[in-house]
Amino acid sequence: MANDERYVIEMLHITKEFPGIKANDDITLQLRKGEIHALLGENGAGKSTLMSVLFGLYTPEKGIIKKDGKEVKINDPNDATALNIGMVHQHFKLVDVFTVLDNIILGAEDTRFGFLSKKTARRKVLELEDKYGLHVDLDAKVENITVGMQQRVEILKMLYRDNEVLIFDEPTAMLTPQEIEELMQIMRGLTKEGKSILFISHKLNEIMEASDRVTVLRKGRCIGTVNTSETTKEELSRMMVGRPVQLVVEKKPAVLGEEVLNVSDLHVHSNMYKREAVKGVSFSVRKGEIVCVAGIDGNGQTELVGALTGLEKSSKGKITLCGKNISSVSVKERSTAGMSHIPEDRHKFGLILDFTLEENLVLQRFKEKEFSKKGFIRFGAIRSYAEKLIKQYDIRSGQGAVTTVRSMSGGNQQKAIVAREIDRGLPFIIAVQPTRGLDVGAIEYIHNQLVRQRDEGKAVLLVSLELDEVMNLSDRILVMYEGEIVGEFDPKKVTIEELGLYMAGARRQGGEATA
Amino acid sequence: MKEKGLSSFMNKNGTRSVMASLISILIGLAAGSLIILIVGISNPSIGIKSAWDGIRIAVAGLFSTGRDAAGALTFGFNSTSIGNMLFRATPVILTGLSVALAFKTGLFNIGAPGQYLAGTAATLYIALTIPTTVVPAWIVWILAFFGGMLAGAVWGAIPGMLKAYLNINEVLACIMTNWIAANLVTWLFDVSSLKNVLESGKTGYIYKTTHNGVATPKLGLDAIFPNSQVNAGILVAILIAIIVYIILNKTTFGYELKACGSNRFAARYAGIKDKRNIILAMALAGGLAGTAGALYFLSGNTEFYWTTYQTLPAVGFNGIPVALLASSSPIGVIFSGIFMSMLDIAGLQLTNLTAYNEYITDVIIAVIVYLSAFSLVIRMWLDGRRRKAKAALETAAPAEPVPEEVKAQDESGAGIAPDKEAENK
Repeated sequence: MANDERYVIEMLHITKEFPGIKANDDITLQLRKGEIHALLGENGAGKSTLMSVLFGLYTPEKGIIKKDGKEVKINDPNDATALNIGMVHQHFKLVDVFTVLDNIILGAEDTRFGFLSKKTARRKVLELEDKYGLHVDLDAKVENITVGMQQRVEILKMLYRDNEVLIFDEPTAMLTPQEIEELMQIMRGLTKEGKSILFISHKLNEIMEASDRVTVLRKGRCIGTVNTSETTKEELSRMMVGRPVQLVVEKKPAVLGEEVLNVSDLHVHSNMYKREAVKGVSFSVRKGEIVCVAGIDGNGQTELVGALTGLEKSSKGKITLCGKNISSVSVKERSTAGMSHIPEDRHKFGLILDFTLEENLVLQRFKEKEFSKKGFIRFGAIRSYAEKLIKQYDIRSGQGAVTTVRSMSGGNQQKAIVAREIDRGLPFIIAVQPTRGLDVGAIEYIHNQLVRQRDEGKAVLLVSLELDEVMNLSDRILVMYEGEIVGEFDPKKVTIEELGLYMAGARRQGGEATA
Repeated sequence: MKEKGLSSFMNKNGTRSVMASLISILIGLAAGSLIILIVGISNPSIGIKSAWDGIRIAVAGLFSTGRDAAGALTFGFNSTSIGNMLFRATPVILTGLSVALAFKTGLFNIGAPGQYLAGTAATLYIALTIPTTVVPAWIVWILAFFGGMLAGAVWGAIPGMLKAYLNINEVLACIMTNWIAANLVTWLFDVSSLKNVLESGKTGYIYKTTHNGVATPKLGLDAIFPNSQVNAGILVAILIAIIVYIILNKTTFGYELKACGSNRFAARYAGIKDKRNIILAMALAGGLAGTAGALYFLSGNTEFYWTTYQTLPAVGFNGIPVALLASSSPIGVIFSGIFMSMLDIAGLQLTNLTAYNEYITDVIIAVIVYLSAFSLVIRMWLDGRRRKAKAALETAAPAEPVPEEVKAQDESGAGIAPDKEAENK
């Protein structure tokens, strides 16, 4: 098989070391002509390093790269381009104020007497658009087109340069479900025309759907390459994480206690959209249950959370936490009254990225007696507290308590927030999209933590856009549609399809459909 | 990973900042020397020998002791120059602290000149109008000192409030309050009775504070540096720098200020009052700039030339390069402030002893300011150089910072995932 001509790219026994770490340890990846090959692994498994080696950004210590069976040296991205290897980065490299056509030809312009001649370029791009069904308005400015369209521009850029090997780095991360579906079709169309695709992802669903083969990396090592048709999601996640992963959380039946949070007739005005975003919402959360607010993004969930946590003002209504009216008190007082908050946007609200891990772990508590004395910070106390949390919640980072949070992986950043919020031991936890952007291992971890809090008698309010998560975790589901709660369900007695109808506004309880 | 000895020292953030600043300074001095050389060669009346003199003075003017009988430059310990350097460093350290403190809390205080003027006006008013025949001079000194500090704080708090409540960019507000201060102070002294009318031939000057018997004590510094203007003000400035360092790094208040500066939203999420902290940070910064004015004019041998204050005092703006050169470290500001005033002294010596004038040192300062703004680039260049040296040696020494992606891989296990999606939604 070694002289196999079916392989367009072969990366054989690639080893790339960074001080103290083998980022790629003897990895072999063979890409067949005309296939979609997925590269699966958790963040930090070495996927990006391997692709950077292929793209000439890093030089490996050991190993060779073959193109069409011949050994090649790729020292910089120009070499890669010369070998017809193209890459769509996760964050697109487009000039916003240029038109689509200008972006496509940028760096590969045809000129006549030193002047741009766009006519031939336009013809070529239009031909490509027809051939692959990649329709984009060539004269639109990039800043005015959707993310999905921008991705098409990136693909056209590669095609315009006659690239044969196309690397997609997490291409679906910022697309809507419909755009993902379109991308999958485009990718299949590309392979039909003989292009070969390498596709980096950690999302099992889309890998199962789109790829022909999957190579799984873990901790810099190649765990194996399998045919997608012969594997399952469970098998892949086991390969990726190194142990069986529960994709479904097991939990005991809820033991309900007294009411912790009560919201009655809450109204919130959205400053951003200049309209009433929450219209008279009432509900309660009791001890020992996870109540989930489900809904399509933008139906008032963000504003509801803002009003509950005190980051935004409510215009009307009453919020009671542990018997105390907190409708119009400060964030600090709500926290004292017993509210923990795992925020939706961990970079904007949850963490101070340039602070160290230990400083972030005491973000709300640095003024407490335990951590300060007469206005002076007790660094020793903070350090030992941080080390306790790091150990207890298995937060991993480069330099332990003094690591700058910015340099930590997303999963560990989220673990730090979860650790901080849970460890405060407050009776009410509000978690907003707590697993967004995390991979299966981290999701499992956070779900288990939330269930444990519920079993310990905390009241948990979970706001999530992921129906799987909603069905999986909650004891009670509230569906929000256009600022109102349109239904309340027991997850055991409802189907995802039924929830979908309520989320889309096609149905509502206690009344007729509004849409 | 094992790091030891020199390589670990070299990798410390602080060391790298200091290295970057030192490199800026060296390049600045080299550029200044080059200009001196070019001017000297292209101008036959100066010549290469004088140019060499110029370079030596520009670099080591602080230690110049004049010329000997043969006309050659002599160097040595010049206590007067060093004393004057410390005296001139006093206000610049304080305005540097003002800018540095604001930087640390995420604000750009370009209003130091106005705050300095506000502090100056308040100090002079208090020092000159309270009769020392009734109140002891030292009490007047203290009142004048804190009066200046307070006036600066008030003047700094104005842009702070505009930013906190109306979200007006503090740079714009600071520039406007600067000019308001300039005109207000001019008017204030214009209608005052503090104009120096006793010394004939003087117009537009305010009395020295010694007119009322108020002056900063020398505390024996005049014995160490005879014939210089130095006084205890420099000690006060250093003490304040240390206090600022302690506030920023050791107290919960400093933690709050920095938290608001780094991420206003996270601070709000954590229940920290972000608006209050922005105002406080600007008030503190203003107070420091006001103190600069207070200490400078309380020295007793400085005169306030009020009619020129249609322009803004350079010492206020000089706080910016001082803070930049020190990477906003309060302790670093002490050194960068002294360094800036050393260049000042070199400029004076250039004028006195050579065919050049003090504007050469302004060029040097300008180059250093440019470079210190690029100190991040220089730091990256230092990193890159080390990496190259490493690659050449093919050693496995751990000096190279491990890329994020790779670092995370060591940590996986329980599942770590990219954050990219979160950012994009």
